[in-house]
Amino acid sequence: MQLKKLNITAALAAASCALIAGQSHAETAKKDALIEGWEFNSAFLYYKETDRVQAAEAILAARGDFGDDKFLNLNLVVDTLTGASATGAVAQPNAQSFTRPSGEGSYTTAAGETPLDDTFHDTRVQLDASWEQPIAQNLRATGGGHFSKEYDYLSLGVNGSLAWDLNNKNTTLSVGTALSQDTITPEGGIPSAFTPMLFKNNFGSESAYEQAFDQSRADDSDSKTTTELLFGATQVISKDWLMQFNYSWSQADGYMSDPFKVVSVVNAQGITQQNLYEQRPEERNKQSVYWQNKVHMAGTYLDLSYRYMWDDWSVKSHTVDTRWRFPVSNNWYIEPHVRFYQQSAADFYKPFLMQGQALPEFASADYRIGEMDAQTYGVKVGTVLDGGHDLGVRLEYYQQNPTNPGVELPGALANVELFPSVKAIMLQVSYSF
Amino acid sequence: MTQSTAAQPTPPTTPLQLSATAYGWLGQFRAMASPCEILLGPCDELMARQLCAAAAAEAWRIEAKFSRYRQSSTLSQLNQHTGQWQKLDSETLSLLQFSKQCFELSDGMFDISSGILRKVWKFDGSDNLPSDDAVAALLPFIGFDRVELTADSAFIPAGMELDLGGIAKEYAVDKVGQLLLELSASVEPSLSLVVNFGGDMLAVRPKPNDDPWRIGIEHPGKPDQSAMLVALCAGALATSGDARRFLYKDGVRYSHILNPKTGWPVQDAPRSVTVSAPSCVMAGLLATTALLQGQQAKEFLQAQELKHWVID
Repeated sequence: MQLKKLNITAALAAASCALIAGQSHAETAKKDALIEGWEFNSAFLYYKETDRVQAAEAILAARGDFGDDKFLNLNLVVDTLTGASATGAVAQPNAQSFTRPSGEGSYTTAAGETPLDDTFHDTRVQLDASWEQPIAQNLRATGGGHFSKEYDYLSLGVNGSLAWDLNNKNTTLSVGTALSQDTITPEGGIPSAFTPMLFKNNFGSESAYEQAFDQSRADDSDSKTTTELLFGATQVISKDWLMQFNYSWSQADGYMSDPFKVVSVVNAQGITQQNLYEQRPEERNKQSVYWQNKVHMAGTYLDLSYRYMWDDWSVKSHTVDTRWRFPVSNNWYIEPHVRFYQQSAADFYKPFLMQGQALPEFASADYRIGEMDAQTYGVKVGTVLDGGHDLGVRLEYYQQNPTNPGVELPGALANVELFPSVKAIMLQVSYSF
Repeated sequence: MTQSTAAQPTPPTTPLQLSATAYGWLGQFRAMASPCEILLGPCDELMARQLCAAAAAEAWRIEAKFSRYRQSSTLSQLNQHTGQWQKLDSETLSLLQFSKQCFELSDGMFDISSGILRKVWKFDGSDNLPSDDAVAALLPFIGFDRVELTADSAFIPAGMELDLGGIAKEYAVDKVGQLLLELSASVEPSLSLVVNFGGDMLAVRPKPNDDPWRIGIEHPGKPDQSAMLVALCAGALATSGDARRFLYKDGVRYSHILNPKTGWPVQDAPRSVTVSAPSCVMAGLLATTALLQGQQAKEFLQAQELKHWVID
């Protein structure tokens, strides 16, 4: 008997590979578990901005395997935030006094300094839970809930998604939705739109001030609802290349102003006349596209992604994020991280308002919705310990550079720093068990 | 080896033995009627014991699932319910799909449905040849192209019988190799490892400095002495041959390598073929397919451009 095609090695190699690699032993190769069937990831993060906010955060994530591809995911985050945050008021050639958001007490900002409210102190607890399981062949469903509480903020949400594997699991299509309801109950209440910051000294009596302050407050609390839709496609391009593409759409309705932020009204000489509480639209429609590549090449792992986000506030942003993992020695790896971010300003972003001009419908001087770019440079060093536990340390430097979106600076404002950079360092230690 | 011997498989209760060697550790147990060995480089004893225990458990699992000697095995269940569509688990399906590819690649010579010929062929060294009629009567029940496979089911025509004896041991070697690789990856990522199930073997990880593993290959005529010492750095070796199973009549030696198309032994096949390949199933398949080529065995092996050893 003579074979028609004598050399069958290549075809046989492919078939053998598929046979042996087809059913992986991943389930038997698991690390030593603390609780049978559960995997835990923990992390501690410290974040510090120069002269501004510092935060400490602890994360504990658990994933329980209930067999038959059913999993329960739990995620707990506790963080504390302290420090100072920009109020939106402009720096001035002279010292400035501000009333605290609660209406009780005041603070002073030195000449030439960006006004910061240093009363931030908050603790946040966030809990997410989700259940995932197959509901038909090649179809997985996930349903979950979200709870987050801090002193003056409560967020509740539900979410669900479906993932459909096809093309021998080389392609996964997914669709997801999330609904959330956020309620803010700031100390001192919600300021009415464009009401001026009041000063006790300008009033004849304590009760006159209190009456005026109460009148400037619309409500004790306010809320917003957000609906999100997510469509995703994941494609195996080759055995060393995975690509993901996501599109997301979200619609938020309700209170989206920041009750602690003001906009300065300046005269032609650039001198602040008063500070008005900001006002943002009560609707925001946001969309984004996200493209991610995970590539294995020459023993290294590259994760490269790009996101483009745009909304009906005219904010557009581009994010490029790269993490590249290089194995060094047996169990160690080093992973540099570089991220570039660039954003255009919301159409109602105003670093300040001019005296004598009609008030716009909306205005905010919050630099976070202004024009800016940002960079992150970091490195992570990780190792796999006995028993398969991962230990990693990540150190990052982050810099935000707000820029002038093309506003002419009158008088004194030309000589002060209106768009100061924010610099931060971040240290994270993570451990899986 | 290509075909299962008639010996009963050893039950999974056979103890696992671990002993220290000059180089590291040797784990020994029996599975699939073969002595099985796990050779490890230097590591601590507990680790060696855990790896060998995992290897034995996996070998016994595969044996219990695909042995035709066990009524409860998945394979026996398949053979007992021919003539209807049967649901398959993904591992069994993968093995049948692989067998189908091998059937096609070998032009129908490698056929896991040919085991039914054992009903008339008893390779006991005697001169009892079956009659032409008896052999011909079985041919309608041979031909893996008649087995239908879908994404999750198989249809085996009534009267047919599948036998994975030709690949189960090689498959077990590869699966155990993969398991040991994964189990040791995080703890001893450079631990030297060899899996050897009765001469079908896989060097999972080489020794340091590419120092080769030296493996003896049994000579068909002298089973008790190593005829050849093969140096293996990485990859697999599998041997196919008629070492002890043949019939002899009127000066003609009938090998136990049967041509599934005629039902008769392949003429002028080498006594033994050993092939080196990246995986053990691949090496085994090529060795068996080479034997099935008879006189053209060497020509076939040369065309594969893989290292091989032939004993005539």
